[in-house]
Amino acid sequence: MSSKTVKPVMHSAAWRISLWATLAFACGTMLVFIFLHRFVSSDIRQRTNAWLAGEVEVLGDVAEHTPKDALYDRVVSEVAELAGKEVPNRLRSEGHTNDLVFFLQTAGDGAQTLWVGAGSGEPYLNAIRKQPFPPDEPQDVRVAGSAIPFRVVALQIDDGSRIYLGLSERDELRVLRNLRFRFIMLWLLLVLLGFAIVFYTARRMLSHVRDITEAASRIGHSELNARVPMSARNDEVAHLARTLNRMLDRIESSMHQLHTITDALAHDLRSPMTAIRGKLEMSLSAATHGEQAEPIVAAIEELDRLTEFLNTSLDVAEGKADALRLSRSEIDLDELLHVMVDLYEPSMSEKNLHVTLQSQGPVRIQADAALMHRMISNLFDNELKHVPSGCSIRLSLAVEEDAAKLTVEDDGPGFAPEVLPHLFEQRVKGKQSSGHGLGLAFVEAVTRAHRGGVVASNREGGGARLTLTLPLGRVIDSSLPIEMTVSGAGPDHR
Amino acid sequence: MRLLLVEDELDIQTFLRNSLEEAGYGVDVAGNAAQAEDMAKQSPHDILIVDLGLPDRDGISLILRLREMGISAPVLILSARRSVDDRVRGLEQGGDDYLTKPFALAELLARLRNLLKRNSPAAGEATRLRVQDLELDLLRREATRGGLVLQLTPQEFVLLEYLCRNAGRVVTRSMILDKVWGMRIQPDTNVVDVHIYRLRGKVDGKGQQPLIRTLRGVGYVLKDR
Repeated sequence: MSSKTVKPVMHSAAWRISLWATLAFACGTMLVFIFLHRFVSSDIRQRTNAWLAGEVEVLGDVAEHTPKDALYDRVVSEVAELAGKEVPNRLRSEGHTNDLVFFLQTAGDGAQTLWVGAGSGEPYLNAIRKQPFPPDEPQDVRVAGSAIPFRVVALQIDDGSRIYLGLSERDELRVLRNLRFRFIMLWLLLVLLGFAIVFYTARRMLSHVRDITEAASRIGHSELNARVPMSARNDEVAHLARTLNRMLDRIESSMHQLHTITDALAHDLRSPMTAIRGKLEMSLSAATHGEQAEPIVAAIEELDRLTEFLNTSLDVAEGKADALRLSRSEIDLDELLHVMVDLYEPSMSEKNLHVTLQSQGPVRIQADAALMHRMISNLFDNELKHVPSGCSIRLSLAVEEDAAKLTVEDDGPGFAPEVLPHLFEQRVKGKQSSGHGLGLAFVEAVTRAHRGGVVASNREGGGARLTLTLPLGRVIDSSLPIEMTVSGAGPDHR
Repeated sequence: MRLLLVEDELDIQTFLRNSLEEAGYGVDVAGNAAQAEDMAKQSPHDILIVDLGLPDRDGISLILRLREMGISAPVLILSARRSVDDRVRGLEQGGDDYLTKPFALAELLARLRNLLKRNSPAAGEATRLRVQDLELDLLRREATRGGLVLQLTPQEFVLLEYLCRNAGRVVTRSMILDKVWGMRIQPDTNVVDVHIYRLRGKVDGKGQQPLIRTLRGVGYVLKDR
């Protein structure tokens, strides 16, 4: 089947489903990661703060109780350096602990009195002076010339001096950066994996749906005995297939029922009609006088009209239910129309109607020959009966987009506006019409059974126009007649 | 000519038997498939008429059974069904013919004749047809009456040829539509009559004895004497 052309993946439902699912998944995992990150970083900070608070307490004690003599600076410095060796979250012990930790003591006037740390204490003191320092609350301090902030805690000593203990946040940030990097990598991996899994699953599920759709569209109205594929599983898709098949069962059975009824009706009426016709014919051959024969002749003609009416009614009824049975063969519409024009031309010119046929050459379609013949003859009968004498009838046949298009136009009075919308219904006919009002309903039934259609309109310049479209059915239906032979023979003889 | 009629409807049976006997056939009648099988075994028949809707068996299976029994006489199938069954179409290709009910007697007789003709060794195809003073040259597609050439369209010639081939026998409108235009249709306008009327205007000139006769309610006949 040609419908299996691969559509771009981006337009498939599986693509959209996996895109949305992945988006939701990505947002969810991202939220979890953000939460974890916050938790970890606040935990690290708390540990830093606790260490700072403990150490500054010790240093404060030492600074307070060490006599202010020549040894004071050395004692305090050593204690401070010692503290610097027990830094929390330390990643590497390269011996450069002094650039991670600093100790600063200022006098009551704010001047630096003691500095333990890397380089000069001056920039640190400047940075500290810029912001207020409530006691016991560690602050982030950005030192000029250093990209990484320090966590600094201050302590007021009773002698009026202040001590500051600072810890670089370098290791803390590095831990968090590592964590973030791993998070992101893991997250990307999860999202991609999630997308792949969802896409694969959705595609598999939806491929069943696609199979079902394709099968269902193939089934159409001529292959009603076919069914959509069922899967062994018991999911929604299998349910869909089962439901569709049950529906098809019901449609097939009501079609079969309809055929049984129409066939039985036709059969039950035709047998007595045959007998009546036979008897009429026998009495006609026995009748010697014209006066005797006349009513018999009229009765025979009535009976023939009744038979034709019965046939057409049942065809129209089946056509309306999309149940008209076709036995397709190749027909050249161009040839058929020429033969029809040939057949009808004398009657037309007798009524002073002028008929022309425009056709570019053979138009071959796969159609039911008997129905086509009757339909075209119906169209001609219709024109012959309804178009007033002196008018012209123009037929044109062309091929448009894989369909044959037949247009029948005349310059008569056209369709009455009140009839036009109901033209293809049974028993609708113009006021002066003498027929059964089945002609156009039959035309519609036949075109419809061939998956075509008919449109009626009034021409702008006056007159009626009927446009019939009949699919050529070359590609799709090339295999149909054989299948239909198989399926068509079944129901009739059960 | 022995004919076996297999038909269960009594009314149809009676009028068919009468009409067929009148047409010169010796008619055996069977009311169901079993009876038909027996009768076919007892004596040979030249032709069979089989109704599809038999009470005991399907007409087609009866025909297939008879073929298995070695009976090769042609069969005219009568069907009251609407659509022509594909299996009937298959039989039609095998040399048999079908007719849907109700039918005109003339058409039944014509189809029987055709089937019998098909079954007999083909006589050399004539190139000229002659009915009274009407003469058709089938090769030159020319018709003359009393030596005078008739100005006929190709279609009119085909129509006249069909009438001539059936000279003396009734042809119905549906037979004409089928054989001349190749369509099994029932127009509810008098298209065939107009063709005949025109043809008659050319064939039956003033002062000549009319050849084409209308049998109202039945069809047309080209008089052969």
